Amino acid sequence: MIPAPLLDVQNLMRSFGGGKSLLGRPRPVINAINDVSFQVAAGETLGLVGESGSGKSTVGRAVLQLDPADSGSVRFAGTELTILGPQQMKPFRRRMQMIFQDPYSALNPRMKVGRFVAEPLVVHGVAGGSALTDRVADLFRLVGLDPSFMTRYPHEFSGGQRQRINIARAIALEPAFIVADEPITALDVSIQAQIINLFQDLQDQMGLAYLFIAHDLSMVRYLCQRVAVMLRGRIVEIAPTENIFSDPQHPYTRSLLAAIPVPDPDRKRPDRPPFAVSENIPPREAGMIEVSPGHFVLEHKK
Amino acid sequence: MKHFLTDLYRSKAGLVGAVLIMVIVLVSLLAPVLDLPDPTRGDLRARLVGPTWTGLFTPGAHPLGTDEVGRDILSRLINGSRITLLVATTAVVLGGIVGTILGILAGYKGGLVDRILMRLVDIQLAVPLMLLALLVVAALGPSLRNVVLVLALTSWIRYARIIRAQVLSLREREFVQSAHAIGASTLRIMFLHILPNVLTPALVVGTLELARVIIMDSALSFLGLGVQPPTPSWGRMLADGRVYISSAWWAVTFPGLAIVLTVLSVNLFGDWLRDYFDPKTRSAK
Ligand SMILES: Nc1ncnc2c1ncn2[C@@H]1O[C@H](COP(=O)(O)OP(=O)(O)OP(=O)(O)O)[C@@H](O)[C@H]1O
Ligand SMILES: [Mg+2]
Repeated sequence: MIPAPLLDVQNLMRSFGGGKSLLGRPRPVINAINDVSFQVAAGETLGLVGESGSGKSTVGRAVLQLDPADSGSVRFAGTELTILGPQQMKPFRRRMQMIFQDPYSALNPRMKVGRFVAEPLVVHGVAGGSALTDRVADLFRLVGLDPSFMTRYPHEFSGGQRQRINIARAIALEPAFIVADEPITALDVSIQAQIINLFQDLQDQMGLAYLFIAHDLSMVRYLCQRVAVMLRGRIVEIAPTENIFSDPQHPYTRSLLAAIPVPDPDRKRPDRPPFAVSENIPPREAGMIEVSPGHFVLEHKK
Repeated sequence: MKHFLTDLYRSKAGLVGAVLIMVIVLVSLLAPVLDLPDPTRGDLRARLVGPTWTGLFTPGAHPLGTDEVGRDILSRLINGSRITLLVATTAVVLGGIVGTILGILAGYKGGLVDRILMRLVDIQLAVPLMLLALLVVAALGPSLRNVVLVLALTSWIRYARIIRAQVLSLREREFVQSAHAIGASTLRIMFLHILPNVLTPALVVGTLELARVIIMDSALSFLGLGVQPPTPSWGRMLADGRVYISSAWWAVTFPGLAIVLTVLSVNLFGDWLRDYFDPKTRSAK
């Protein structure tokens, strides 16, 4: 029997807008996420890939109950989270964390970074006094930062260092699951690989599971066991990483694959197969088909 | 503290502002030991005497001249500064505390709290502040405490509106979401993550407000609704001296200068203070 997944998301929906504007004009409804379902096993990394505006961050926030979904179910370690109040949710906040897209706006500019990293430990009453300082120093070392940086303010750090600080804060409570929302997109290419390695090291050491959000497939290949491809708020394909790369089913997945930058500058990149999103909006009633074990694709026009 | 002083020393405008404020505050504190003539006792034989520079060294003379009932203007200015500074600072601090807290509450909580608070602000903005002040002072009676309360009442909405707007953009920032994600309480988020990030705008509003409140306090006194005579106040001096502006310029010029100088030094110091508390500009120096 397959063990129950750490995270089980079913039929998640979230829309924005709607209602009337001040002048009485109806505002358009945006279905930011539409019928999204997926699972993440303990220690696994699931990639969530899609173009800007496809709803990836909204999924991440809904999973962590930061911006709860309109409907659908989020089960973490067997507990339904969508029905919990803030107090009941608090113990789960120790076990699931988020790393944000923009390392610049993710740090409080008025808080020394040591205090910022220590905050989760303080909020949950895990450590205090000198034990707290020691623990924070350990966390700094763990993410590759000098503990003497603890007394500095965020503006003194580079993007990569900031992201390390965010990671230190996110792992402070030793969570089992982390949503990493495009954690490297805002960083220099030279720094990206370092941060990816850090993610992998932490996973090896702590047995973390990740929902790793990215807007293209290039990094996902090295980090993820499985990949979900999102288009206009829907998951159009979800499969083990090898399948996505060797046997992509959905035309949108194929176009994402073709868009991966080719490292060799002499080799010409194959032309991106034409893919018009507007003609490929997944029909509302389309269902998922299992094409091979664990490889699902949304029904689509051939 | 050492850093504070060296940084202040390096900023010319801030230093000038700080020194002026210190002089003003020091002089007003030292008023009782300065051996000044009684600011409330007139001398009808010496009405509207012009300023004399030698008067500084001659006992019984009037260096800045006298007003229409022969009271020493220098003494009234210095004694009046005590009242003005006390009234203005208390009102601005009071309005600042209330306005900042309510602004954070409205911006962060949103919903009903926000709507009620902002309606209140709108209503108050629709009523001219001077009219409001007049009504309240008329209802409560003019006393030092009531003037402070009235000025604070006209002040809090300015903080509240600006702070609320700041909070609306702050609460979308990812560090606030991150505070949610670790399970921080609403109170913790409001006071540890939001408040420190609105202190700079609050300080800026505070400086502008201090200047405005000093002027409004003068205006209230001007209309006879400030602290009551014979207690000296700058606004009152301005009002009384105004009549003689063509024949005795000193009766209105010196209180006017006192107001301008105080407002200016507060602004200079406030500008520097804002830069100092902004971690970005601090390390750039
Ligand atoms: N708070 C909000 N209010 C209104 N619309 C929103 C809000 N948050 C997201 N949306 C809309 O929902 C859709 C999905 O947004 P989301 O941020 O999840 O996309 P994303 O895939 O993370 O994109 P990106 O790669 O740019 O981060 C977008 O059309 C966006 O405009
Ligand atoms: Mg996003």
